[in-house]
Amino acid sequence: MNVVELLDVRKHYLLGETRVDALRGISLNIDRGEFLAIAGPSGAGKSTILNLIGCIDTPSEGRVLIDGTEVEHLSDTELTRYRRQKLGFIFQSFNLIPVLNVFENIEFPLLLQRSLSRSEREQTAMHFIEEVGLADRLKNKPNELSGGQRQRVAIARALVTRPLIVLADEPTANLDSETGHRIVDLMRKINELEKTTFIFSTHDEHIMEHARRVIGIRDGAVVGEQRKG
Amino acid sequence: MITLKIALRSLLRRKSRSMTIGLLVAFGTLLLVFGQTFTRSAGIASRDSIIHNFTGDLILYSERSKEKPSPFAFNTPLPNIQEADKVRAYLQGLPEVKAVVPFAQNYALIRVQKNGKPVELPFIFYAIEPANYLEIFRNAEVIQGDFFGVTGAGSAVRPGILISESQNEQYQKNYGVNLAVGEKVTVLGLTDGGSVNAVPSELLGLFNPRYFKNVFNYINYIDIDTYSRLYNFTGVASGSLPESLNQGLAQAAGDEDAIFGLAEDKSFGKLDLATLKSEALSGYTMIAVQLKDHRQVDELIQKVSGAGLGVKGARWDQASGFFARIAAGLQLFIFVATGLIFLIVAFIFTNTLIINIIERTSEIGTMRAIGGEKRFIRGLFMAETLLLNIPFSLLAMIVSLALILAAGRSGLPLPDSISQYLIGGGPLPLLLSAAPFAEALGIVAAVSVLATLYPIRVATAITPLKAMGEKAA
Repeated sequence: MNVVELLDVRKHYLLGETRVDALRGISLNIDRGEFLAIAGPSGAGKSTILNLIGCIDTPSEGRVLIDGTEVEHLSDTELTRYRRQKLGFIFQSFNLIPVLNVFENIEFPLLLQRSLSRSEREQTAMHFIEEVGLADRLKNKPNELSGGQRQRVAIARALVTRPLIVLADEPTANLDSETGHRIVDLMRKINELEKTTFIFSTHDEHIMEHARRVIGIRDGAVVGEQRKG
Repeated sequence: MITLKIALRSLLRRKSRSMTIGLLVAFGTLLLVFGQTFTRSAGIASRDSIIHNFTGDLILYSERSKEKPSPFAFNTPLPNIQEADKVRAYLQGLPEVKAVVPFAQNYALIRVQKNGKPVELPFIFYAIEPANYLEIFRNAEVIQGDFFGVTGAGSAVRPGILISESQNEQYQKNYGVNLAVGEKVTVLGLTDGGSVNAVPSELLGLFNPRYFKNVFNYINYIDIDTYSRLYNFTGVASGSLPESLNQGLAQAAGDEDAIFGLAEDKSFGKLDLATLKSEALSGYTMIAVQLKDHRQVDELIQKVSGAGLGVKGARWDQASGFFARIAAGLQLFIFVATGLIFLIVAFIFTNTLIINIIERTSEIGTMRAIGGEKRFIRGLFMAETLLLNIPFSLLAMIVSLALILAAGRSGLPLPDSISQYLIGGGPLPLLLSAAPFAEALGIVAAVSVLATLYPIRVATAITPLKAMGEKAA
């Protein structure tokens, strides 16, 4: 079943008087539980695709359906709620809340949801903290963690609401290659364990090897697709 | 809870910036509380000082007067109150009246002998009934002699004059004359008719004014009987005049041409001077009234004005020249100064918040991306504002309270030149009241909220897209 459908999606920006075509008619279906990489060089349009799927940007043309919902017609508040309930984000620069410790950063999306009791919240947060192996760093602030640890916090934060899709924009770009591999391994493990759909962008060929499906992007268009296993 | 946690920790994370803003808010609050307490206290002290030194709660004056009464308008005395005794009796019958003190203000010359030659000295004065005057006004501190021989209520009065020590020093400086208590003088007055009256008198005492020295140093005293003789305040008793003349005078209503016209009117016949009787006139130009309750002043003015007594009333603040306006002006000045300071604080605060927001673009964008609605961002920045401003404001209030209590024991010392004009002199007793504290808290809260509105707009305009490309924690 498709959780993401992009139908002839185009996105263009104006840079001064110059029109920049970031996406030139992308059509793409992503199934539930996929572990998918969007690969391509810088400026190919990877992040733009993630932004559209993540409901933080809208297409200039075409349709974007997430879990069957056409999201470009939703209001700002509806989009925010939609993101809160259906999506998880892992950013290239980790983007943790600097004043919150590991536990609080991971608990934060649950507090925004307001759907769980305190004990349920704590239990859920602890489950994912253990999943990412940070149980001994609960009280540490982001600036007291290494890059790999921060990204693990970001992964736990993205997963804690048990979203339909986790979007990771170049999650290993700011990590050394060994840590990068570990992070992708972790994402893969959680994908298998939790059946969460992972969509990540990368231009690192070693990272692509971990993906079950790789979509190649160049100059805003799909230039190839590779399925594994 | 999470909002407060993030807000508080964000403030602590930027300690020096938070401290700077907090201290500015504290300074503004201190100025507001202390300034309001100061001006309120000064306003009350000024009112009490004016009431007890030269106006009472109100001044009654002739309804013929075109000018408002001023205790310092010696060059243009007000018209006499024609039926001062009747007005006085009326007032004394009113339950709300505590004391009634009629007086007049005028100027004359004092002739003294120096080296066998006469010297004439300028002399501005209040003409008073000495014992009665002391019922309200106790500004004169006699340093030599006595206050017209008054020893208590209803005691006998010695006629004469009292001059201030400062006045005597001026006589010495300008005329080489140093008057001594007991010295015989002649008071010279120029009557309305153009003649000069000379009344022998005596210097009964020297005094120093306790309050408002800068004006009372030049105001002296004369007893009302001497004053009446000096300006011929003796008239023909209206009862001894033919009825037709009384009617004609009533119709003339003070118009000089009409009065002189009566002389041409043969129907009045001739007056028999032997049948005319003299009647003493007071010459009072003002009647100061002290009330049991200040708040009844307007009510009493209305009552007296409608009683057909030929007088109208002026409140203490209308009758005190520019003195009442000093406290009001100071209040306005402090209000404007505080307003400006809060405007500057609000401006700095707004700018600092915007800088904070720009620095936290990634954080805000991340919160929005992972599901934080705009109202969460609004709440976060409002919480930061209030968590910073309210405690610093409360701290400033505690400091203000301590200062007020410390000053309250002995009063706030002021430079004499300011104190004399503001409250008549001496330290200003600071009156503790809850109102300035409540007002300050309200103003700080309102200014904080207003100063946060624009930064909040900036913060909520940050899209989650921003979070994707920003460097962050």
